[in-house]
Amino acid sequence: MLRKIILTIAVLSCFGCAEVSAGQQQLTVWAMGAEGKLIRQAADIFEKRNPGVKIVTQAIPWTGAHEKLVTAVVGDMAPDISQMGTTWMPEFRAMNALEPLNGFMPASALDTGDFFPGARESNVSDDQWYGLPWYVDTRVMFYRTDLAAKAGYKKFPENWEGFYKFSKALTRSKEGGYAFSLPTNDWQIFLMFYWQNGGELLKGSPLTAGKFEGTIDYLKKFFDEKLAPLEGGNDTDLLTAFESGYFPVFISGPWMISQLETSKPQLNGRWATAPLPAGERRASFMGGCNLVMFKSSPRKALAWKFMEFMSAPEIQAKWYAVSGDLPASRKAWNAPALSKNSKLASFRKELDTAKAPPQVPEWENIAGSINDAVEEAVFGKVPPQAAREKLSARIEKILAKAERQQSAAFKIALSLFLFLIPVCAAGLYLRKGPRAVVRSKFQPIAILFLLPAVLILAVFLFIPIVASFIASMTNWNMYGVNDWSKVVFVGLENYSGLFRDPVFLAGLRNTLVFAFIGVPVSVTLSLLMALALNAQILRAKAFFRVAYFIPVITTMVAVAMIWRWLYNPEFGLFNLALGYLGVPPQGWLSNRWLALPSLILMAVWKGFGYNTIIFVAALQSIPDSLYESIALDGADTRQEFWYITLPMLRNTAFFVIIMTTIGYLQFFAEPYIMTGGGPLNSTMSVVLYMYQQGFKFYNLGYASAMAYILFGLIFAFTTVQFRVQKKVEGNF
Amino acid sequence: MATVKRYSPAYKAAFYAFMFVSVIVTLFPFVWMLSTSFKSPGEIFTKHPTILPQLWTTGGYRGLFAAVNMWLHLWNSVIYAVSITVLSVLFNAMAAYAFAKLRFPGREKLFALLLVTMMVPGQVTMLPVFLILKSMGLLNSYAGLVLPGSAAIFAIFMIRQFMMEIPEEILEAARIDGFSEFAIFWRIMLPLCRPIIATLTVFSFIGAWNDFLWPLIIMLREDKYTLPVALASVNGQYNTDWGLLMAGAVLVVLPAVIIFLMAQKHYIKGIAAGAVKG
Repeated sequence: MLRKIILTIAVLSCFGCAEVSAGQQQLTVWAMGAEGKLIRQAADIFEKRNPGVKIVTQAIPWTGAHEKLVTAVVGDMAPDISQMGTTWMPEFRAMNALEPLNGFMPASALDTGDFFPGARESNVSDDQWYGLPWYVDTRVMFYRTDLAAKAGYKKFPENWEGFYKFSKALTRSKEGGYAFSLPTNDWQIFLMFYWQNGGELLKGSPLTAGKFEGTIDYLKKFFDEKLAPLEGGNDTDLLTAFESGYFPVFISGPWMISQLETSKPQLNGRWATAPLPAGERRASFMGGCNLVMFKSSPRKALAWKFMEFMSAPEIQAKWYAVSGDLPASRKAWNAPALSKNSKLASFRKELDTAKAPPQVPEWENIAGSINDAVEEAVFGKVPPQAAREKLSARIEKILAKAERQQSAAFKIALSLFLFLIPVCAAGLYLRKGPRAVVRSKFQPIAILFLLPAVLILAVFLFIPIVASFIASMTNWNMYGVNDWSKVVFVGLENYSGLFRDPVFLAGLRNTLVFAFIGVPVSVTLSLLMALALNAQILRAKAFFRVAYFIPVITTMVAVAMIWRWLYNPEFGLFNLALGYLGVPPQGWLSNRWLALPSLILMAVWKGFGYNTIIFVAALQSIPDSLYESIALDGADTRQEFWYITLPMLRNTAFFVIIMTTIGYLQFFAEPYIMTGGGPLNSTMSVVLYMYQQGFKFYNLGYASAMAYILFGLIFAFTTVQFRVQKKVEGNF
Repeated sequence: MATVKRYSPAYKAAFYAFMFVSVIVTLFPFVWMLSTSFKSPGEIFTKHPTILPQLWTTGGYRGLFAAVNMWLHLWNSVIYAVSITVLSVLFNAMAAYAFAKLRFPGREKLFALLLVTMMVPGQVTMLPVFLILKSMGLLNSYAGLVLPGSAAIFAIFMIRQFMMEIPEEILEAARIDGFSEFAIFWRIMLPLCRPIIATLTVFSFIGAWNDFLWPLIIMLREDKYTLPVALASVNGQYNTDWGLLMAGAVLVVLPAVIIFLMAQKHYIKGIAAGAVKG
């Protein structure tokens, strides 16, 4: 039966397979989000100039783009060419997925010296090119010219000291709010100041002594003197705060120009951009994207031709007109649309000196550590020098995951051994105890009923679980994603490492708090609401059922947008309500004591409807006759609940409690989308940290170990619940 | 029939007041999303937002229909969600029936094993499942997309709990009448489980309908994208067009609401209860 279904589905899936006409050369190009749609226009020009070539462009959503690219490489589904974020390059080089390009260059008209130096950095490793810069972005200051003029400034200050004085003058000249939006959890912003201060990353030592401390001291002044908010800066709606003057200055990239022009047209003429104030030197952040060719491409010459085409100054200038992306080619900037745009002048100035982060595959992991260290230092939890030493040690540890060698035979033997552990455990578990079922009562038909589900679960759940359990005892990381020979057995190292990892421990604590508060509140609320929905006097039941279920089905992005507005420190509904009560405004998502409760509230709101409808379904099966007989005995509503409803719901309630506990212990979506785990890891959860380690840093072994610690925790909780249920059952 | 109780008007008023307040709390973000989808960019982020747009625009919706082939992706989503739902209701209900009402050696142990594996966070098994599908040659196929999600332990657990409440006498009577186990399952158990089957249908459908990462990584080509994947691909890295995003969110939510409206009709009192003669 299963085979039939598989066959049918497989046959169905072949409908709509595209055909390529003979003699035509086809090239697949992936690009992300808006670029993925717009690149069609460039492809059309290329096709016109190269008859017989067909370019298939595909838009990949930015959310999930990283996962899509990694799995495409692993699953042999990579395109010929793809757009790639500059910080992802080393990782894909480590996976051995990118085609080296130097061989194509001698015969090419491409002038690699034309690219901005910062854009070159992410493409070249050991003098070998692995990609070509496609477009760049960099960060500049956006500021309100009218408010600056009111504070007595006609020009934006050019250096650190001037900027500090300017910020003081700004706050003095206006009522409420701050001078400067300075997020505490943004490593890019910290790095720019650090580079400006003369600091270097991973050059000899991880960090430059003194320069790190100097940068912290400078930034901390802004927080200490209330020029920038330490709390409540990370969750503010920037555009609105810019309009109201709450933040007259902020740092952002070129995309902000069009965003301000379209969503705040009333501000036109009252804002401008300026280069970042210089410290010892100028330095901004070099972002943007490259185009890379995958090793698996069968049409490399053609692919190179397309990449070369996209890098040509003429096409680069045209691409700006289409997309608003800044050209990586300096010659392209001579086009009038770019050279005559006053708002772009500051970007052009920054691009010459903008720097890219170091090209190491572990960069995402290091960047996360920088966030943590900077946050601790500006919050004053750790003195600057200690913060630098701690961060340096952490970076060294991340980079020290040296490649270890083990023989293949040893690995196979070990895997077999490890595979046998769970199998033997399961065998022992299944064998022990008296045989409760008498053979004569065996109904063989049961096997048929179980077969489809158990077969699918065996293939797609049991085997993967055993595999990930084995993985939890290896160093499986990005080097080994595509190459098994680089996976090395490390025993319990991951587990012991976790118990020394402060972020994991914080996540463990938060997860427990979340479950201890969330589960009882959510289950009680669901039961109450289900009873209300089932009440005899309620009319229009369908409407109310839908209303309670709506939060469950509403897309998380929409929910997040609205809750951010509710929690907005400047004008959110919650602070408005507090204002009426005379309580000062709170940073709901940025105060480290409030952030977790805020997320719990949101999670309960979003999730209670799920359990409510399970209870509603279960309530339908309670026979009315039971209520009638107890009513005859003169029982009131409360007694009905305790003696009929609750006992009759026990099977369902047990299911709901178990599932809710598991769900809350695997708390992920809310911190992922609202706070990213901050501030100071106060909303970091185990699964969020696991996701970061697994899918951002590709420490898959480490992430798996985390999953099994969480598993142990869940197992303990549910075992207790089972025991309790058995006891309760005995009382009925 | 149940005796109809009489409630005082004050009780009724308090009850309805409570119901309406709670409905405002749960519906507010939905209404907000709906209204934002009709707002112009300048109105979306302001200090004093209004519930209804001051200037109505369908720009978000028109932008979406211009950017993606809406009907194609809607069709993909329907195929995906419906096949997952049908298979999952069938497979899981069958297994649940075996666990609740049939006898076989190791029943409790196997069930306990299922519960234990349910506790492993799903994120760690994603890559292994992907690799298994690769070795089976099922990447970029509907089978690879649908099969891994078509059996779920939570669903087996949920239906088993419900089936356990159904009295054994009904089954015994059917067996004496010469019903086969499949007939009992199909003609007695499933109808008796209507409310919980309806619930599972909603959960499976919505789970597959909103699924993002799995369809994205399993299906190779853009013309196989499901609706959420196609809608997400419209956004820039830093530039979010909120009108467009909210219009997309509305279009994704509406079919799910319709499915729920259809399913909740099956919450009918006393199907199981009526069948038992006390």
